Amino acid sequence: MKHILQVLRFEYLGIIKSKAFIITTVLFLVLIIGMAFLPGLILSIQSSGDEKKTETDKQVIAVVDKAYKDENTVKSEFAKSFEGYKVLISTEDNDTLSDKVDKQDYAFAVVIDEPLAITYITKNNSLFASQTARVAETVKGIYQTTSFDKLGVPAEISAKIISSEPKLSTVTTGTDQTKNYLSAYILMMMIYMAVILYGQLVAQSVVSEKNTRTMEMLITCAKPSHLMFGKVFGSGLAGITQLAVIVCTAVVSMRFVSMDSLPAELREMMNFPVDTALYALLFFVLGYFIYSFLLGAFASFASRSEDLNTLISPVMLVIVAVFMIVVIAINSGSVDSTLMIVCSYIPFSAPVAMFARAALSDVSIIEIIISVVIQLVTIYLLGMLASAIYRVGVLMYGKVPKPSAVIKLLSDQHKTNKAIRASKKGE
Amino acid sequence: MELTVKGLFKSFGEKEVLRDVNLSAASGSALGLLGRNGAGKTTTIRIIMGVFYPDKGEVLADGKPLDRKRVRIGYMPEERGLYPKKIISEQLVYLTMLRGMNSADARKACDKWLDRMGMTEYKNKKLETLSKGNQQKIQLAATLMCEPDIVILDEPFSGLDPVNAMLLKDVIKEMIDSGAVVLFSSHQMNYVEEFCSNISILNSGKIVADGRIADIKRSYPRDVIEISTQEPQKLSAHIIKTMGDRILTAEQPEKEGNILRIKMKSEQSKGELLSLVSAADTDIDSFRVCEPSLNDIFVQYTEAGI
Repeated sequence: MKHILQVLRFEYLGIIKSKAFIITTVLFLVLIIGMAFLPGLILSIQSSGDEKKTETDKQVIAVVDKAYKDENTVKSEFAKSFEGYKVLISTEDNDTLSDKVDKQDYAFAVVIDEPLAITYITKNNSLFASQTARVAETVKGIYQTTSFDKLGVPAEISAKIISSEPKLSTVTTGTDQTKNYLSAYILMMMIYMAVILYGQLVAQSVVSEKNTRTMEMLITCAKPSHLMFGKVFGSGLAGITQLAVIVCTAVVSMRFVSMDSLPAELREMMNFPVDTALYALLFFVLGYFIYSFLLGAFASFASRSEDLNTLISPVMLVIVAVFMIVVIAINSGSVDSTLMIVCSYIPFSAPVAMFARAALSDVSIIEIIISVVIQLVTIYLLGMLASAIYRVGVLMYGKVPKPSAVIKLLSDQHKTNKAIRASKKGE
Repeated sequence: MELTVKGLFKSFGEKEVLRDVNLSAASGSALGLLGRNGAGKTTTIRIIMGVFYPDKGEVLADGKPLDRKRVRIGYMPEERGLYPKKIISEQLVYLTMLRGMNSADARKACDKWLDRMGMTEYKNKKLETLSKGNQQKIQLAATLMCEPDIVILDEPFSGLDPVNAMLLKDVIKEMIDSGAVVLFSSHQMNYVEEFCSNISILNSGKIVADGRIADIKRSYPRDVIEISTQEPQKLSAHIIKTMGDRILTAEQPEKEGNILRIKMKSEQSKGELLSLVSAADTDIDSFRVCEPSLNDIFVQYTEAGI
């Protein structure tokens, strides 16, 4: 235990004091503070710019009305839909319109060929169909208004009918996904990134000790399991320190920013429930331990840092695959699908999958406890296995051994250990 | 204290690395562990350090299994290893604490040993900023800081200049005098002869020779005599004339030198040769039995194998 603490302290201080760690932390802080203050700043600059815009600065929409012959209705409907644009009723032919749109005299042009058939002329068609949908919606509105008009329904009543929408109030008995969606997504990203980032720290530290042959000294000073556990705890603690600094800065800087200055998306992000955040922390810690033991064990077979990437790529693949499964499940709205339920009990996918379910669905506390216990047991077993692999791996230089050779070495070692224990008991 | 290694066997997979290795070293003396590359020296050392478990055999201190928690072992691996990017004093203190010393004592020991090595000015520097020889000195400090009862040095002299080698020699002698058990592994035979009264030669995982260096040397036939004289040719002619039937060769190893080397058929005749030479009308500077050098012994024992 004493050794674990000593290794932990050395590793922790080593990481905290390293330039790379300080620089990334500072960058994150700058980003956080930027995210807190910039939107407000940009909005205020934008709004002051808006005021200066005069009527002549406005972009022009050209509308050719061949079907309704009702200039007023067409113009007013378009003006309503496209605020900030100037609506021009034109009689130009399609070629002229295309020319002018291309020269950007017009933002875009709409030709109403028939009551429900339109030609939309634009320079660049956006990937997202929001503009075209708005044009179609506008023309639909014109059609409805004029149709009601023909039937003799007064304009006010027809407008009311057209714009009527049911009032919807939702009663949520479980978890409100709409409320938690974004925050859960962000926290999940953070778990994923943090596990990879800090897990790699462990792997790198193992390889560099081996590469510089510091291992030759260390292995004679302390047990491999103590070195391994100390290293994993040390890097993990450094990770938590970094996260804590970042979160504290975020919370403090939010105090100084009025929430109203932030765009709605950002405000929503900041609003995550405390229990979701606590789950994120819990599952980050569990995921970190599971993967850093794996990464450390794999890394102990690398003689040089160049070998590291190849060696740890299987582990990385698993992490990415798990993340993809969970993201796809969330996006398709099936957080409680059979696959997700299974994933939330498999220790390698449980940290992300169970977190997603805990945040976005109504999982009973018992289920979470079972998943956590499975993960804890796995961590213990992995820790032991990783130490055994580490013991075999760190003194092996040169070619990366085949998995079968490793298994054989481990079983040999296990047999000798058993024999030694038996002989000690005999004494 | 007496460190005994008894009947060690160790295999890695199919390969048998150690086959019945026995060693013994006592406080206040140094044991030279010799052997060609791959003979099993490092494996033996790692078993003593507790990094590997032997398949069979044991490591004893004063007849009881070595308790590595109580007996401190200082080890200087052949592959030097310290953190290149970490502050020297920090890593020295860390390694010494891992070896069981408390923080305050480790700091004191760090200052003491850096001073002893003449490295105090580098205390707060990173290791990688030092020259190779100086890094070596830091490595030695790391080995000895924990005040070890057993010191294991693997090629400690490689890469040191003569002045640093002298410093290292003094330090090793101090350790021996202070009652530590010193295990010394090297290919530089002159250093081995200088420190070690005993040697063990390992070849392909087996001890092929061990004991006091003097005894091993005496075990060789003492039938070669070296005579130093101003007139080697004259003396050579005289000896061949008188004792020719009992002599195999008489030669001058250096062309212009004044050494005459006589190889006799039997070592019994060396008394007769001495009286003949002393009675001869020639000025004699010295007359001695020519012993094999440690180098010769090493080559002879390890030539076959591996």
